[in-house]
Amino acid sequence: MASKTVLDELKRTQILELLEQGKRIDGRALDEPREIVIEVNAIPKANGSAKVRLGDTEVLCGVKIQPDKPFPDVGDKGIFMCTAELLPLSHPTVETGPPQAPVIELARVVDRGIRESHMVDVSQLVIEKDKSVVGVFADIVVIDYDGNLFDACSYAATAALLTSKSPKWTMVDDKVTIVDGEESKLPTTTIPVSVTMGKIGNHIVVDPNGDEWDSMDARVTITTDSDGNICALQKGGSDGFTLDEMVQCGETSIRVGKQIREKLKAAQEGVQ
Amino acid sequence: MVDKRKYVIPGDVITTGPFRPEQNVMLVGEKIIATAVGISEIYDDSVKVIPLTGKYIPKIDDLVIAKVNSHTSLSWELDINSCYVGFLPAQDVFGRDFSAHADELATKLKTGDLVAARIANFDRTRDPLVTISDRDLGKIDSGILIAISPSKVPRLIGKRGSMIQMIEQATNAAVTIGQNGWVVVSCDTPEGLLKAKIAIEMVNEKAHVANLTDQVKEMLDKKSES
Repeated sequence: MASKTVLDELKRTQILELLEQGKRIDGRALDEPREIVIEVNAIPKANGSAKVRLGDTEVLCGVKIQPDKPFPDVGDKGIFMCTAELLPLSHPTVETGPPQAPVIELARVVDRGIRESHMVDVSQLVIEKDKSVVGVFADIVVIDYDGNLFDACSYAATAALLTSKSPKWTMVDDKVTIVDGEESKLPTTTIPVSVTMGKIGNHIVVDPNGDEWDSMDARVTITTDSDGNICALQKGGSDGFTLDEMVQCGETSIRVGKQIREKLKAAQEGVQ
Repeated sequence: MVDKRKYVIPGDVITTGPFRPEQNVMLVGEKIIATAVGISEIYDDSVKVIPLTGKYIPKIDDLVIAKVNSHTSLSWELDINSCYVGFLPAQDVFGRDFSAHADELATKLKTGDLVAARIANFDRTRDPLVTISDRDLGKIDSGILIAISPSKVPRLIGKRGSMIQMIEQATNAAVTIGQNGWVVVSCDTPEGLLKAKIAIEMVNEKAHVANLTDQVKEMLDKKSES
C-alpha cells in the first residue's frame, strides 16, 4: 500500500525546516485538520452510507444491517463489524490482492474506535436471545489516498452509522421474519471521533497529509467519545512519544475531536 | 514542412496515403489512425501525434530528474516518472574499478535522493539505462521538486527557452527541467521560490492557452510589485 512510496529528500527537508518555524507544508496550523466534507446517504440502496473527504483523501462507507447468528459467548448482544479496503485507483502504489498489514491495521483501528466507545448499542440489537441478533456491518473503501486514512475512515463509518435506518425483524414460527414498513434509527449512544497525530522530528501535527505521513517518525490515533473520554488509542511508527507529548496528544485529540464532532452532528441533522 | 495540425482522439483517421507512421499513430491498410489524444502533425513523409497527456516515455539523451527508489549491490533503481524504471549501474558513479564487495552504494546515493540524470540508452525492450557522469548531472542538494505533465515540458521551456528564461530572470531562481515532467527549482529567497513555483504551475495548467508567455509575465510583474 501507500507506505511503499519513497518521499524525496528535498521534500522531507522542506517539511522539517517549515516545522522548525512552526509552519506546515500546506499552510495549516500544527493542530488544524484539513477541511472535512461529509456527504451522507451517498449510496441510496444501502441501510446507511457516507462519503467523506478529508483534504484530498476520500473514502466511502456503506452500512449493511441484517439478521445474523450471535456469537456463542454473547447471545444477548448484536454484532457490529467494520472492514476497510484500499482500491487500486486510490494511489499508484496500491495493488489488488489480499490486504496488507497497514490495511488490516486501518480496519481494526476504525473498528476499535467505534466499538470501544460503545456507539452502537448492541444490546438493543437482539431479535431472540442466543438464537438470532441483528448484525451491523460497516464496509469502507478508500477512493483517494492523501494520508491519514484512519480519521477519514472513522468519520465515514461514524457518519454512516449515525444516519443508518434499520429494518425490523421478529421471530415467526422460529424463523426470522422482516416486519414490513417498519424502519428505525440504529440505536447509537455517542459520537466517537478519532484524531490522528504524527510526530515529525520533535513536532506533533494533527491530521498529516500524504507527504507528512511519509516523513513522520511515529503516529498516534486517539478516539474520544461525546463526553470527551478517551476510549481507544493506537500508536504506530518506529519512534516513541514522551509522557509530556502523550498528554499533549490526549488533550489535542479531545479539543480537535470536539470541533469535528460538531460537523458529524451537522451531517446527521441535515438528514433528519 | 508541418501542415494540417488538428486535434485527434484515438481512432481518428488522420490521413491516408504513403506516410510513415511515427509516434502514437498506427497504419491500418492505407489509413493512418491516431492512438492517443493529441495534436496530429503531417510532415512530408511521416505522420505523428503529439500527446496532450500521458506518462513520460524515455528518449535517448533526455535530461530527466530522477528519484532513487532502491538499490541492489550493483545498481540503483530510479523513479523517472515513467512506466519504465531507470537503471543506474554502480560503475557509472564509482568508476570502472567498482567492486561489489568493497563499495557500498548507499554511501553515494540513498533512497529518496534526487538526481539530475541523462537517458544513456533505451530501446523499449529493456529498462532505460541512465547516467549521471556528466557535467551538470548528479545529486541535487537543494530546491523543491515540482511535478508537471511531461507533455507540457516543451511549453514550460518555450521557444528557444523563452518561457523558462523569463521565469528565471524575474525570480532569480535556478530551474532544472527534466523531460519527464519533474522540475527542480532552487532560489536564495523564499519569495522567489514561491513565485517561480506558481509560474511553473500556471504553465502546467494553462499550457493550451495562447499568449501564455504574456500572462505569465504579467503575473510575475504583478507579484514583484506587491
